[in-house]
Amino acid sequence: MTEDNKIIEQIIDRYDAEAGMLIPMMQDLQAECGYLKAEYVRSLSKELGIPLSRLYAVATFYSSFRLAPKGAHDVSLCMGTVCYLKGSGSISEAICKEFMVEPGGTTRDRLFSFQAVNCVGACALAPVMVVDGKYYDGVTPESALEILHNLSPEEAAETTAKEAQSD
Amino acid sequence: MHTLRDLLGKMSVCSGVKSIRKDYPVPTVTIDGCKVRVKKDATILDAARRAGIWIPTLCYHPSVPCDASCRICMVELDRGEWRQLVTACNYPVRRDITVYTSSERAQQARRGVMELLLAKAPESQELKELAKRMGVKETRYPKVTESQRNCILCGLCVQICEHIIGKAAIGFAGRGVDKAVAAPFRQPSEDCIGCGACAAICPVGTIKVRFHEEEKEIEISPFKSRAKMLVCQECGSLIASTPVNEQALTKANLNSEEFRERLRLCPKCRRLKTVAQLGAVTFRKK
Amino acid sequence: MISVSTKFTNSADIETLAQKLRIEGGPAAKSVRVCIGTGCAAKGSRRLYELFCEAVEQSGQDVKVEAKCVGCHGFCERGPIVVVEPGQIFYQQVEEPDVAEIFRETVMGGRVVERLLYEDPNTGKKAEKADEIDFYKVQERIVLGNNGLIDPTKITDYIAEGGYKALAKVLSSMTPDEVISEVEVAGLRGRGGGGFPTARKWRSCREAKGSTKYVICNGDEGDPGAFMDRSIMEGNPHSVIEGMLIGAYAIGSNQGYIYVRNEYPLAVEHLRMAISQAREFGLLGKNILGSSFSFDIRINRGGGAFVCGESTALMASLEGRSGEPRAKYVHTVESGLLEKPTNLNNVETWANVPAIINRGGKSFAEIGTEKSKGTKVFSLVGKVVNTGLVEVPMGITLRQIIDQIGGGVRDGKSFKAVQTGGPSGGCIPAEHLDARVDFDELTKLGSMMGSGGMIVMDEDTCMVNVAKYFTNFLKEESCGKCTPCREGLAQMFYILDRITDGEGQVGDVERLEGLAELLDGTALCALGKTAANPIISTIRYFRDEYDAHIKEKHCPAKECRGLFRYEIDSEACKACGICMKNCPVDAITGEKKVPHVIDQEKCTLCGTCWEKCPFAAVLKV
Repeated sequence: MTEDNKIIEQIIDRYDAEAGMLIPMMQDLQAECGYLKAEYVRSLSKELGIPLSRLYAVATFYSSFRLAPKGAHDVSLCMGTVCYLKGSGSISEAICKEFMVEPGGTTRDRLFSFQAVNCVGACALAPVMVVDGKYYDGVTPESALEILHNLSPEEAAETTAKEAQSD
Repeated sequence: MHTLRDLLGKMSVCSGVKSIRKDYPVPTVTIDGCKVRVKKDATILDAARRAGIWIPTLCYHPSVPCDASCRICMVELDRGEWRQLVTACNYPVRRDITVYTSSERAQQARRGVMELLLAKAPESQELKELAKRMGVKETRYPKVTESQRNCILCGLCVQICEHIIGKAAIGFAGRGVDKAVAAPFRQPSEDCIGCGACAAICPVGTIKVRFHEEEKEIEISPFKSRAKMLVCQECGSLIASTPVNEQALTKANLNSEEFRERLRLCPKCRRLKTVAQLGAVTFRKK
Repeated sequence: MISVSTKFTNSADIETLAQKLRIEGGPAAKSVRVCIGTGCAAKGSRRLYELFCEAVEQSGQDVKVEAKCVGCHGFCERGPIVVVEPGQIFYQQVEEPDVAEIFRETVMGGRVVERLLYEDPNTGKKAEKADEIDFYKVQERIVLGNNGLIDPTKITDYIAEGGYKALAKVLSSMTPDEVISEVEVAGLRGRGGGGFPTARKWRSCREAKGSTKYVICNGDEGDPGAFMDRSIMEGNPHSVIEGMLIGAYAIGSNQGYIYVRNEYPLAVEHLRMAISQAREFGLLGKNILGSSFSFDIRINRGGGAFVCGESTALMASLEGRSGEPRAKYVHTVESGLLEKPTNLNNVETWANVPAIINRGGKSFAEIGTEKSKGTKVFSLVGKVVNTGLVEVPMGITLRQIIDQIGGGVRDGKSFKAVQTGGPSGGCIPAEHLDARVDFDELTKLGSMMGSGGMIVMDEDTCMVNVAKYFTNFLKEESCGKCTPCREGLAQMFYILDRITDGEGQVGDVERLEGLAELLDGTALCALGKTAANPIISTIRYFRDEYDAHIKEKHCPAKECRGLFRYEIDSEACKACGICMKNCPVDAITGEKKVPHVIDQEKCTLCGTCWEKCPFAAVLKV
């Protein structure tokens, strides 16, 4: 547990314990394990002296925060106007059906987390899918499924093992 | 007749930003034709109450900061060439203004908001009563959202818990239509002292206090938060939440043992004890 | 490259360095500029840059060549873009195998590689330089001018192109009031969508009570289809910093914030580097350029909420709270961040400030229309031939932007509408294509210029579905604080969903209009107040589509599933049988040499036959 406390302390120091920097603090906290662990949030609340209900409100208000572990890979499908008009809706359906996942969720084998995001600002490449930070342009339902099927499950196994240890 | 005041008023209306050059310490509000004077930065609602004019409110409460989130108190503000709909509960009066609370547009706005609220919280009696008083018999909208039952998200419970009780045991969670009031992580709150202030201030009667006789606990529904209750030493009935008692004792700084003894009795038993004590007093005959 | 280790101690230092840099990198110097804006980067331009760097290394010491990565040129449709100097040779759609040829032929040999030049689709003419291309001819790139020229990660590039000259001028020879007057003469209005006169905002903030004041840069560009601010922050971050410095000086602020959307990591990175370098050079910090003015900037990333583009929500976010707007009866210039006077402006607004100081307010005011001065950056996307970022003087018509710059509607389809202003805006039909684009004209037509997003739609777009899309977007992004926005959007979406599902009822349009009016009057912030604009503008111009959906259960654009049929054109059908084989419910019958037929009773409207037919014989009816 002390190692966890160290993480919290480091983050608080980084921002001089300034209450206004709560969101960057929580973003850094999330970067530690890929999601916001409840115990971390509680510790942060205690150390900063900010009510836990406020941290929970912030964690559930902003889309970038996750309270549950994510998959080994990050898949974001752009649902901005242009991508939508070019068919990202059917791509989303195809992904959900094929991998049995909902937007905002993670596949059961923790292979990837799937998010339908609002415009990523690359409209000339519509429809756009971003996998682990890499942009794929002109995606179709077929090509999207192919990309996802080619994702390496080994990383997924590694992550699940790591988390099993820390639980 | 154009006075300097009129001109100044027009100038600050025409510029988009209110740059108040002249300080009006006691501005006049002409509300529905009635002139009242209020302190600077008082609200239109303050002026209305002074004038004896009723404006419906839901999320407003004098003891907590006002967010104007419910939008049920909309009134029309005279802007010269046009009229602006504003919320009465938090519009600060800084100069002489004219307000219409019963214009067609203001009434329509308020009724529209009420219809949306009735669709969101169809089971609240208090809301239906308020609606009736506003002239809204029913809502044309179906219930289209699934989140938190009968909550109008006025935020009063959150405010009172944070600002008055000082516990911040509950807060908002989520965003948009999925927004709800909840304890952190949707678990029973560790900070809740079971005082029931949230239930007392809830304008639509959604938050309820429940007593569990067997476990000797008080529960705040729907947050599932529970607190142990003090039990009357004499008759065994539930008195009040233990943490509330402790907080009251700490705040009041009372530490006498006699006082603590009294607190272990329910009001009825306390009365009986007092009577008994008084009865034991003998009056010397002079 | 000159290495500069000393801080600037006075305004003259900047010009000294700029001159030195210009002499070093003279007009004859050979260089290759590779665009690494997000659009080109997604097509692999970073790898191109690496390859060019390798080629430069291998070319030997005696030839001075520089490989540079630069920000977005705007012609994203034709990326990756590579520009070679001398000659400004503009190459488009460059791929990895092309690198060696470009280097050998153009950089070293001075010869043009014809096949990589842009070819006009109408005339067939090839363009050597950017300004020979129609896409660029009509543009006036004041804000984006330096994007393709400078490496955004090197402050010296910015200085060599005249960067921080405006700041030097301001700090050495202008009073704060003179700065505000200059901006007033220029007629600068907010570029984030509000269009509020910038000088007036600065003046109000300057006059507000209190000594602690803040300036904020709103980089939370959330309109779907808009990426103007992204390109500015990624491609020329110093222009924003310089603008903020000048503004802060005018207002009397010593602390600034740049709030960048979480989804723009490259912009955050480039801004961080820029700020760090500016500090090294003494352009941020205490006693800048030897004056008594001190100023520094902090970057905050958003958490993922469109509503944080609203100024009070943004400030709430900077205070570590949920991004919920608050009433603006007391303006933020009076009481904003931490209840102090705060001046918030959009990225593009700030980026215009150095140009105004450099060329003078009067010169700036010569561009544009009477009430809308200067240029505006638009992101032209959707069903146009040339998608990308364009910067044009205000007053240009929609037709000019879409036809001349955009090259018209692609794939030979006909124009239906252009959506402007993001979710707060509306759709404008063909009959108004000659409308001038500025702050006020589009508003009269029921839309708005907004932050600059321009989405072109063709005949295959269902306008009811467009309204539903935007309503859903806003429903997801609503903060949920006030009743009308939270509940009203849900109700409007429910109605639109019914309509596109074929369950529209008579009176639905009137219900939508009633809700629109309610939101406009009672919502707490601009998101809620303008939320129904997409619905109202599509009802205004495309009422017939709504009626068709509701009364006939038919989608004229043939986009809403279930509201149109598939039929086989007996003349086009070659009886190949592919559709029959692929139909999941065996609704198609036919034999060899006989046109196939779809049994409408069995058909589930999945669209597979339409997708698979190699002769386009399956029609949507």
